[in-house]
Amino acid sequence: MAQSAGDRRRINGPEESFSPVFDDDEEDIKLKTQRSRAAGDIRPIFLQPGLISQANGSAYIETDKTKIACAVYGPRQTKTTTYSEKGRLNVEVKFTPFSCMRRRAPIRDAEDRSLAVSIHQAIVSSIRLELFPKSTIDVFITIIENDGIEGCIASASVAASTALADAGIEMLGLVSACSAAIVGDDIHLDPSEAEARASSGTVILACMPALDNVTSVWQSGHMTADMALKCMERCHERCIDIHSIVAQSLLEHRTAA
Amino acid sequence: MSSISKSEKAYIQSSLLSDPPLRADGRGLTDFRTVALESGVAPLANGSARVSIGRNAYDGGGGTEVVAAAKLEVETVGDGEGVDGGRVVCSVSCSPTAYPLLSSNALDDLQHDMTSLLHATLSHPTIRPQNLCILPGKKSWLLNLDVIIFSDAGNIFDAIFMAARAALWDTKVPRTRSVQYRAKKSDRKDATQAMDVDEATHTGSALDTRETVQVSDFELPDYWDEGEPLDGRQTWPVCLTLNLLPTSHFLDATLQEEASVPLKLLVLYSFQSDTPPLLRSMRLLGTGVSDLVQVKSLLKDGEKYARIVWTALEGKLKDEDLRRNQKARERFLNR
Repeated sequence: MAQSAGDRRRINGPEESFSPVFDDDEEDIKLKTQRSRAAGDIRPIFLQPGLISQANGSAYIETDKTKIACAVYGPRQTKTTTYSEKGRLNVEVKFTPFSCMRRRAPIRDAEDRSLAVSIHQAIVSSIRLELFPKSTIDVFITIIENDGIEGCIASASVAASTALADAGIEMLGLVSACSAAIVGDDIHLDPSEAEARASSGTVILACMPALDNVTSVWQSGHMTADMALKCMERCHERCIDIHSIVAQSLLEHRTAA
Repeated sequence: MSSISKSEKAYIQSSLLSDPPLRADGRGLTDFRTVALESGVAPLANGSARVSIGRNAYDGGGGTEVVAAAKLEVETVGDGEGVDGGRVVCSVSCSPTAYPLLSSNALDDLQHDMTSLLHATLSHPTIRPQNLCILPGKKSWLLNLDVIIFSDAGNIFDAIFMAARAALWDTKVPRTRSVQYRAKKSDRKDATQAMDVDEATHTGSALDTRETVQVSDFELPDYWDEGEPLDGRQTWPVCLTLNLLPTSHFLDATLQEEASVPLKLLVLYSFQSDTPPLLRSMRLLGTGVSDLVQVKSLLKDGEKYARIVWTALEGKLKDEDLRRNQKARERFLNR
């Protein structure tokens, strides 16, 4: 839980901090939101399972400027004494203080529950929790660098699913996720932070391509239902590509070990 | 939220799936319970509303009970989080009486989740009202929308958004007048005698070509009503929760029904006369899975149901406007 006061035992940063303000003119803003890739392309993905040796399973994902590490511990005994017939999935997301434009003070606002909830939603239905009574699976996600919250949620879901597979936890399928933003009348897949800010609406879709299932849909902003469906279809196509990347990286990791 | 046994779950599920579908209270799959709405329940707020879904008609008990209130605050732009053009901040708090079985930590998490959906939807820059600006680049209104859940008998998200929409519909933004302090030409040498000058009494000479419209502050004119309604109050969305069964879906679930379906889809629509219906938010919640074909058909159905809810709510809100303004005035005159 987030605490209201800072930790007295650590050297706290200044009370408030301000990100530097650059005097962007119109041209610069245009350049920033301009994509170097086509509207239907996503940022290149680097995915490496098994980076954290003490965890049961782990994965590191990098998509351009988004960098996320994920560790899975468990299934292990639930700390509370209450009996639960199904296993519990616990997702925690932390931002490093230097991950965003504005410093995120440790403890106070480095934990983001809404992100954790959306990642939980994306992966929970892929895990066979009925096989783990009385136990908990902990998924810890650290966002080292953040370039757009939509991309973060999508990449973190992919990393979490990879780490779960790396931990040898039984799943129904690998989860892959992709985000889309509507900029003007176009659909831009995997938007960066500047693009997402300039957009009128965003969609994040998580699915299990092997089973042709959708596990999570998060849409915000405004768009017509047809446009939302079009976004979801485009995301779904990319998710199939992402799925093969995940499968390949897991395979390479296994054969190398 | 309530925990029910496996056999009870199976019982509810199989009766919902049977032909014809059966629900404990005898409703059809797409029927709502009675919805009651009253606006202006908090006299000190700028706008407020109270919604109850499924209240028992005989003793007024039971049902989902939600109160929403909007409060306006003046904020300096560029100071802290203030932005030009104003902003909307939403919060949801759950009274412990609504969820007596939850620990305080779980309650915190629950209200945080509800807050994040409400805030993400209503404070999106694309839906921000235009008249939250007081002085461009200097001062703006901060609209705090607080929702309190007094009891939950199922279908909480629909109730929250209904209450939020009604409270925002009811919100009046106080009128402001820009004010500027300017030395009179004859008093220029005596700068201490600054004068309070309004737009109406322009004292600059015709020779003064410097266009310096530097409005420095504002005042609240004394006027008989509380101000103007929020701009674009028709755009606030309505929420519709579709509870998904393997082959069908149903609306307005009670707590037991909610506990026995694995997956629900939240769709938020806003309808305007001049544009096609806009999807404001969509969330899939729960542990089940869906697929694109199902989501597509659900969106279509959701739009249909949401339009019915929208029309009913719109009618009720106009009624409330009438009751609180015109009829109150007539009653006052015919005393």
